[in-house]
Amino acid sequence: MTEPLLRVRDLKTYFVTEHGSGTARAVDGVSFDVQPGETLGIVGESGCGKTVTSLSILRLIPEPPGHIRPGSFIEFEGRNLLTLEPRELRAIRGNQIAMIFQEPMTSLNPVFTVGDQIAEAAIVHQRLSRRAARTRAIEMLRLVGIPDPEERVDHYPHQMSGGMRQRVMIGMALVCHPKLLIADEPTTALDVTIQAQILELLDRLQAELGMAVMLITHDLGVVAGSADRVVVMYAGQVVEQAPTAALFARPLHPYTEGLLASVPRLDAPPARERGRLHGIPGQVPAATAWPDGCRFHPRCPYAWDRCRAEAPPLLDAGGAGEPGTHTVRCWLLTDPRRRTPHP
Amino acid sequence: MLGAAVLALAVLAALRRRVRTTAPGRRFFRHPTAGPGLFVLAFFVTIAIAAPVVAPYPPYYQIDIAHPNRPPSAQFLLGTDPFSRDVWSRLVYGARVSLGIGAVAMLVAATVGTAVGAVAGYFRRWVDTMLMRLVDVGLAMPRIFVLLMAAALWEHIALWVLVLLIGLTGWFGTSRLVRAEVLSLREREFVAAARALGAGAGRVIFRHVLPNAAAPIIVSGALGIGHMMLLEAGLSFLGLGVPSPTPSWGNMIADGWHKMAVAWWSSTFPGLAISLVVMALNAVGDALRDALDPRKEAA
Repeated sequence: MTEPLLRVRDLKTYFVTEHGSGTARAVDGVSFDVQPGETLGIVGESGCGKTVTSLSILRLIPEPPGHIRPGSFIEFEGRNLLTLEPRELRAIRGNQIAMIFQEPMTSLNPVFTVGDQIAEAAIVHQRLSRRAARTRAIEMLRLVGIPDPEERVDHYPHQMSGGMRQRVMIGMALVCHPKLLIADEPTTALDVTIQAQILELLDRLQAELGMAVMLITHDLGVVAGSADRVVVMYAGQVVEQAPTAALFARPLHPYTEGLLASVPRLDAPPARERGRLHGIPGQVPAATAWPDGCRFHPRCPYAWDRCRAEAPPLLDAGGAGEPGTHTVRCWLLTDPRRRTPHP
Repeated sequence: MLGAAVLALAVLAALRRRVRTTAPGRRFFRHPTAGPGLFVLAFFVTIAIAAPVVAPYPPYYQIDIAHPNRPPSAQFLLGTDPFSRDVWSRLVYGARVSLGIGAVAMLVAATVGTAVGAVAGYFRRWVDTMLMRLVDVGLAMPRIFVLLMAAALWEHIALWVLVLLIGLTGWFGTSRLVRAEVLSLREREFVAAARALGAGAGRVIFRHVLPNAAAPIIVSGALGIGHMMLLEAGLSFLGLGVPSPTPSWGNMIADGWHKMAVAWWSSTFPGLAISLVVMALNAVGDALRDALDPRKEAA
């Protein structure tokens, strides 16, 4: 394998809560790599630490109350982002690593034209003149598929629909041709047809510009269509990591299994449970009080004594490829006979 | 005078036509006192700018020192004062001083207040705590006493020092307002997006936060000019503001008030001017608030 573009090791981002209810360990020892040019999907329910992970990479965690624990390590092209000076960090943000936010309705500044906002990163990082930046903004609008870019460049965000605003956001993020794009739920706020268009756009731009994409989502359908590899997060940890095809063919962690089972399918009407959609019982526990042992055990259909007592490490699941290609944080791997259909 | 009134009306009509096309513009003129208030302001600004044309006499010229206190007539529109100076001419030149001091002092106050509020609200932590405690102290001090003390210490106070003093004691309220606005704006997603693009603190504050806080700043500025003018008038009336031969509406009242019984006009007209302008500013400020700030919060 080539040298990874981004290497995250043992990332711990904690938030000190007010009212003394303890420390929220929102991200608690997360490690993964992003290879140049690949799409990495990061999947999990709300509250499992996906967004905090992505904000930590750009060091956009509000401090206080948040802080990244010493011992965490985020390396981008051989440089540790956690020890950079604010000035060096700003030179990377928006230039080498860009981010798209969840809410296209609120992520654009209402008082500036979209052209001004797209041009901003180019002016900040490449010191373009206003005229050159405007030309660039028009180019970007055309690239992200907005009709009449010469006219649209002078429009304000409120004159555009949600899908168009998300396209503008993508244009803003890509104006400096970053090597890594972090897309935090880029399609969650959009309706399904627009979702598909935006994902297609991201795929096309990724191929054209040769960048890596970290696609953060709670929608497995999105991941299945676009990602090369998937990291499944639960309760601030990585619980399973595998190439997309392997993950969908052979989900090993009970949480992944549950997630996959809860995706509605058109081709196989759910015979089980009297035609009702499957759900994982319970909800993600509070980040101030993760359960002891395996953090998933209170919701796991297979849990036994060992799961309650001992936290499992990431275990290699074998399968195709070199060791470490498919890893799972589950004791079942040591005792596969316990994986029985549960009553 | 008539000319000034006509010009003011023309300005008003032009503005109304211009602004009627936008929603905030319509909201502004829906306010019942917005039109008259704007007219009064336009009128006084016009005569202040055109003072040499509008005033029949130089403001210091003592016309007939043997016969002061002439009543209003065709020759002396608003009469003459106890020093036999034409009240209308002094009122016109006084508009320059009084309106000018009010506007510049407010500009100083708004600038300092906005800067302090933005820094406190954006950086939070100890910067915020320190600045806001300073503001608490400033708000707790009776302003008129601070100004009186400063004026008494200086003896002959220069006009620009007076403006600075009034401005620098008037920014506390604005800074609180701006801080509150910045506190909510800094959590907005587009601010996070701007930071993710690599914008530094200065860029984020000036391009993304403050433009979105413009409406309340403008409103509090418009309402604040009135306070500033009243303060100047009060100080000048006490003889500690604008020094005497220079006409300001405050010291014109002071010059005439002990002859109120025989020559009511020399104090009444500048007093009326102050009241009118302050009322007009409040009316316009209120209308602006309704127009620009849908939440209609108190400034």
